[in-house]
Amino acid sequence: MSTISQLALLFLGAALVNNILLTRFIGLCPFFGVSGNMETSVGMSIAVVFVMTLASTATWVVWTFVLDPLGVGEFLYIPAFILIIASLVQFVEMYLRKASPVLYRAMGIYLPLITTNCAVLATATEAAKPGFFKMNLDLGATLGLGEALVYTLGVSVGFGFALLTFAALRERLEIAPVPRLLKGNPMAFITAGLLSLAYVGVAGWFGL
Amino acid sequence: MAEWLRTFRQGIAIENPLTVLMIGLCATLAVSTLVQGALFMGLAVVFVLTMSNIIIAVFRSVIPHEVRIPVFIVVIASFVTIVDLTMHAFLPEIYQFLGIWIPLIVVNCLILGRAEAFAYHNRVSLAIADGLGMGIGYWLVIVALAMIRELLGTGRIVMFERTLIALPAGYAPPGLVLLFPGAFIIFGLMIAASRWLGERTERRKERC
Repeated sequence: MSTISQLALLFLGAALVNNILLTRFIGLCPFFGVSGNMETSVGMSIAVVFVMTLASTATWVVWTFVLDPLGVGEFLYIPAFILIIASLVQFVEMYLRKASPVLYRAMGIYLPLITTNCAVLATATEAAKPGFFKMNLDLGATLGLGEALVYTLGVSVGFGFALLTFAALRERLEIAPVPRLLKGNPMAFITAGLLSLAYVGVAGWFGL
Repeated sequence: MAEWLRTFRQGIAIENPLTVLMIGLCATLAVSTLVQGALFMGLAVVFVLTMSNIIIAVFRSVIPHEVRIPVFIVVIASFVTIVDLTMHAFLPEIYQFLGIWIPLIVVNCLILGRAEAFAYHNRVSLAIADGLGMGIGYWLVIVALAMIRELLGTGRIVMFERTLIALPAGYAPPGLVLLFPGAFIIFGLMIAASRWLGERTERRKERC
């Protein structure tokens, strides 16, 4: 078992130091795709926090109780995890449409997109399958369910945080005078580079 | 044959997946710190993309429209598993370097996108041309980016423990290029450069 301070460090490390978008480049498609608009970014962020947490729990349970005991994890983990995530997203979508129309309207259209979001598969794999988790925190080779959950929450909150910051910056860029060749995507990349520079600085705070 | 060549060329230049369509970015930026790693990442993508395009084009008339996405994902996941196990067995160092990016090829938007947009609607020979064209287009950009980053970031390009190109000994490499911000900024400038090249060829054509 890990202590509270270890869990807090895990959360902050996952959210800020190893920010999934800006320091690890995972999940860049929605990062550039939906960040043109603040409202869509909010919807996307909520949907990611929600789905990522569910997906990691599901893959952790399947790996620990099904794939690993049967000894087929090494060959089957890729198709198994992606199918778990795809069907999970489908169920969440159906449930939300019935149970909470408000929430469905807020994040409904982003749910199907998340199936093929690499951030979800990456985090679920890291949380569930030993050998992919790379943070240096003395937690041992495998994460427990609680640690996996804290890690996933940290990652997804970091995702939302970076996405919202970037969306706000891009709204400003719309009215900024930018050289013609750099307009649009090239400028978005350079802005992301500068933002990512800020995150690299955070690494020094925790000595990670 | 003319159509085959046109489809093939489309992927490399006019609709280059990275600089024009901007899909499949995550892995590109993350693994482009080493030319050697980028080379094999590109090869893995060419293989998975071409093979999944072939299989999907062959079975396009029997895959029901409603469940096509899960079918595509399972086909892609099988080829990614082949790459995963092969690399693990024969190229352990590169496998270690690429890490999570190998399983993440499954959710690379590039591959699912081509399956959905091209292979599902075209005959096998054209699907091969599309797979090879798009794959090689991806490969060229990722290797070019890796060459710039490795050369500027470490001062030389190393392949299988042999130095291919080295800058003069007095060169002090800026570490920023190898870090995450460098990737964003250099890639942004690369898109701007490819845009400039595209515009210049357009103007030449008009003059003729």
